[in-house]
Amino acid sequence: MEPQRPDYFRPALIAGAVAGLLSGLPFIGAGNCVCCLWIVGGAAIAAKLLAAKTSGVLRSSDGAVVGALTGIVAAVVDAVVSIPLKSFNMDLARRILDRASEIGGEMPAGLDEILGGSAGAVSPGWFLLGLFVSAGLFAFVGALGGVIGVSLFGKKALPPVSAPPAPSAPPAGPGPADAA
Amino acid sequence: MPMPLNPRSVRLVWALTFFGTLVWLGAVGLAPWLAARGSSGAARFIYAAFAPLCHQVPGRCFAISGHPLAVCGRCLGIYAGFAAGLILYPFIRGFSQAALPRARLFLLLTLPMALDGLAGLLGVWRSPIGVRFAIGFVWGTILPFYFVTGAVDLLRARRERAAARALEKTIATQ
Repeated sequence: MEPQRPDYFRPALIAGAVAGLLSGLPFIGAGNCVCCLWIVGGAAIAAKLLAAKTSGVLRSSDGAVVGALTGIVAAVVDAVVSIPLKSFNMDLARRILDRASEIGGEMPAGLDEILGGSAGAVSPGWFLLGLFVSAGLFAFVGALGGVIGVSLFGKKALPPVSAPPAPSAPPAGPGPADAA
Repeated sequence: MPMPLNPRSVRLVWALTFFGTLVWLGAVGLAPWLAARGSSGAARFIYAAFAPLCHQVPGRCFAISGHPLAVCGRCLGIYAGFAAGLILYPFIRGFSQAALPRARLFLLLTLPMALDGLAGLLGVWRSPIGVRFAIGFVWGTILPFYFVTGAVDLLRARRERAAARALEKTIATQ
């Protein structure tokens, strides 16, 4: 019989919504600058939720799938949350970069036009392209976070049960295998 | 616990991951190179593609010809560490088994970056770019051991499901 798959969707939806919300908020979203904290953390939490719901031992592939789904949900929520906050985020980014250039850093080529031109509405095409790219990246990072989550929160597999003694074998006392 | 595997599958996943990592690292360096050569459109696209993963603050990035790389020093350290971990993978795990690293080891390698990141966000201290790179590098070395294990197990799970489906079909037709 085909092995039953755990229900990935619910944990991914919950953890992805929280991770996406945190990623989209100003200041708090900066947590993603530390090795994609919200996405990796969200995916790990999704693996924990999945482990709590699943009776068996989770495999690393389960973590990868639930983590990737979490990343995709997070990308969608992040994009939706970012729409009303766009002008605020752009203003914030501009101030940070102005400060950085005062200190002596150099602005990436064309960043002025990007920041200046993005203050208005974004075309649906560019919005979807951005969403597609970030969904792919977040799915990749989320898959990694999901596998890490399985290693941290997944139930440990029981040690392999030793094979039962052959029927013809006489009952034996504790041997070297038992002592190990 | 290590799981026995088909070495060909592990080798394939490892090789594809290694190739992908080289492309990824190449793209990080390509953005400033293109910007320096005047291809600002292509450079802008690469900078934008990496934007969801990194703050890209120029003062915290290494630079090529005066143009910052597409990611900061810490992220570059993580990616370079990932590549180094992949190189170490065959010597540590081999291709005949896969196992997730111990949780304690992961937490130990995460601690320096967590402390540095937290201190930076709170404004307690600002570590130099070299230190950020080194801390990211250390953390990045453990990541392939998760990635390759997860990807190999994903392949195995797919094969198991396909085999189970084929068996069910065979039983149904008999």
